[in-house]
Amino acid sequence: MKGKSLETERNLVWLWWIVPALAVYLVFMAWPLFNSLRLSFYTGTGFKLDNFIGFDNYVRLFAGGEESTRFLGAFKNTLFFFCVHMLVQNVLGLAFALLLARKTIRGKPFFRTVIFIPATLAIVVTGFLWKLILNPQWGPLNIILGEVGLGDWALPWLGESHLALFVISLVSSWQWVGIPTMIFLAAIQGINDDYFEAAEIDGARPSQVLWRIKLPLLRPIIGVVAILTFTGNFNAFDVVFAMAGPNGPPAYSTDILGTYFYRTGIAGQHPVGIPDMGLGAAVSTITFLVLLAGVVIMQALSREPRGDRR
Amino acid sequence: MKITRMVSRIAAVALFLAAGSLFGQNLTLGSWRTDDVAKISNIIAAFNKTYPNIKVKFDPTNPPDYNATLRLQLESGNGPDLFYARSYATGAELFKAGFELDLTSLPAIKSNFTPSAVSAWTTPDGKVFAMPLGAVSHGIYYNKDIFAKYGIAVPKTWEALIAAADKLKKAGVTPFANGVADQWDINEVVMMSILPSAVGGSEGRLAYESGKRPFNDAAIVGAFQQIKDLAPYLPKGFEALTYNDSAALFALGKAAMYFDGSWTVPQFIDQAKGIQWSVFSTPPAKGKKPVVEFHPDSAIAINPASKNIEAAKTFLTWLSGPQGAKAIGDNLIGVFPMSKNAVKLDNEYANTFLSFNTGAGQDARFVWPKLMVGKPSGYDLLQNNTIAVLKGEITPKAAADAFAAGLAQWYKP
Repeated sequence: MKGKSLETERNLVWLWWIVPALAVYLVFMAWPLFNSLRLSFYTGTGFKLDNFIGFDNYVRLFAGGEESTRFLGAFKNTLFFFCVHMLVQNVLGLAFALLLARKTIRGKPFFRTVIFIPATLAIVVTGFLWKLILNPQWGPLNIILGEVGLGDWALPWLGESHLALFVISLVSSWQWVGIPTMIFLAAIQGINDDYFEAAEIDGARPSQVLWRIKLPLLRPIIGVVAILTFTGNFNAFDVVFAMAGPNGPPAYSTDILGTYFYRTGIAGQHPVGIPDMGLGAAVSTITFLVLLAGVVIMQALSREPRGDRR
Repeated sequence: MKITRMVSRIAAVALFLAAGSLFGQNLTLGSWRTDDVAKISNIIAAFNKTYPNIKVKFDPTNPPDYNATLRLQLESGNGPDLFYARSYATGAELFKAGFELDLTSLPAIKSNFTPSAVSAWTTPDGKVFAMPLGAVSHGIYYNKDIFAKYGIAVPKTWEALIAAADKLKKAGVTPFANGVADQWDINEVVMMSILPSAVGGSEGRLAYESGKRPFNDAAIVGAFQQIKDLAPYLPKGFEALTYNDSAALFALGKAAMYFDGSWTVPQFIDQAKGIQWSVFSTPPAKGKKPVVEFHPDSAIAINPASKNIEAAKTFLTWLSGPQGAKAIGDNLIGVFPMSKNAVKLDNEYANTFLSFNTGAGQDARFVWPKLMVGKPSGYDLLQNNTIAVLKGEITPKAAADAFAAGLAQWYKP
């Protein structure tokens, strides 16, 4: 009897090790998450949300009219923002990693550092620097374009509806390209050399090695990077806030879910500046659901085929 | 042991508080004017010459966060004793929620202000929720050196302004420094500076608000047309030029004119030392009467939960008197005291701004009194359509129609 309870005790010892982390998680993550879910069904004046209105906040976001134009516009822009990161940041990251993994390349530590440095800088700093570089009056970019006879290409980069978000996405891709590069590099270096030797003996061309060996073996890692990019971008706020402010200028073309949520849920819009917190909670709940669905789908897609994981 | 220590501490705190109320009172003043710390301390120092026992602490919040932060402070019971109140609906909202003391019967309100000066902080049923502090004016800053070089006189009509701009552009000078990247400035200091003359002042505005005139009538189309007139004369890349960029362009002498508000006067006194500059009133189109965008900007409200309401009233009463008005006008350069006790100001630029009011009407920013609270707000509609006209995306007529259609979604006269 006594021995058995000792046994149970021993089996449950692990529980005590996760209690601190669990407590922090419950208080700072789970509870606010559920509270935010709850608040999305309420409205009120100012910060007192005491009026239960069911799904009205959600209806406002989807049922046409001003609010849903803004919300759906922000949703579409966020999707665009994510796609640019997938195509530019992650493809470049993979390319850099493949180059850096070559045994013949020289000065590897130097390139690795250069690629990773932007990721260590504060986004407020890089955002401000890029704003200066892109300034139509005294920004170096347009001055250089003018000097080399491409004055017609010197556009107001952040002032055109069809360009601004793309330019900001490129700046963000430039800043974060080091992260996927490092992840892919570690993964490539982790591939067993036997595969490459066998391929060499069989006379495989480099392109065949890439498409038939490296990429299939990287598949789970590509999935991880895609999930990281997806969660990072659907939660994005800082780079757009630093370069375009919270109002999505010009004409709401840089308004993403992060800035839209900031305006509705936290700061209110200039010059009235009173937030609608219930609506903000509804926006954040939808963002959460989109993230959840996206991560589940991507995890399923990036799973290794034939079901032989581990 | 522990309990006695705690009791003695509580007693010490209580004694300290009691002593405080006997020998002096402390007030905190919340505000969105983070730039004014030094200037407000000068005003408080002047106040303390008469009332040495009332200590006022100026505690401003980052401007974009002010409304939300203040609301949170008030709701959690940590609000300041006195705080800057926004004009019209935004300010009245706090009164409705019970966070602003009713000042209707405060003697200083009756004796030191005209009803029109207080109107921006009066509810529809006549309750005054804050004491006016200052108004701001708007106009066009100009570079005197450039004007002299090209023989341009200060324009009295819109047509003369555009002709001057054309002359400057042909000579290779950027006529106006304004841009649209930050959006609010083109709306508040350009479009809303054109509108008062275009629609016929406050009478005209009231006619729109009461539904007698449609929001897309000829006068509104005309105002958008004036915006279109400006488009060719803005700097290269104005689409991505921010408010600070524009001010820098003007201060460095790289643009001849610059639409802005009177609050920028102190900044240019510091930064535009390399040029001779002055200001003129935004000229009306031919046949229109001049009306100045003279906007009731800030007022101070009392928190009903304050423990020192009497001291707060004393401070406001002093502020609206002759000494207070002088202290406001001379310290907050570019902000104009609104009490009847207005005095001659020391600063020449501030005086020039104030002189616009002579022989001209005055009105608040067009959308402030009634058109702010719905969605899409009149503010947003005016801003986005003004920018679209400047970029050549829509015609002035289409802009006025979009403005009226947007308001029709929620505004009932």
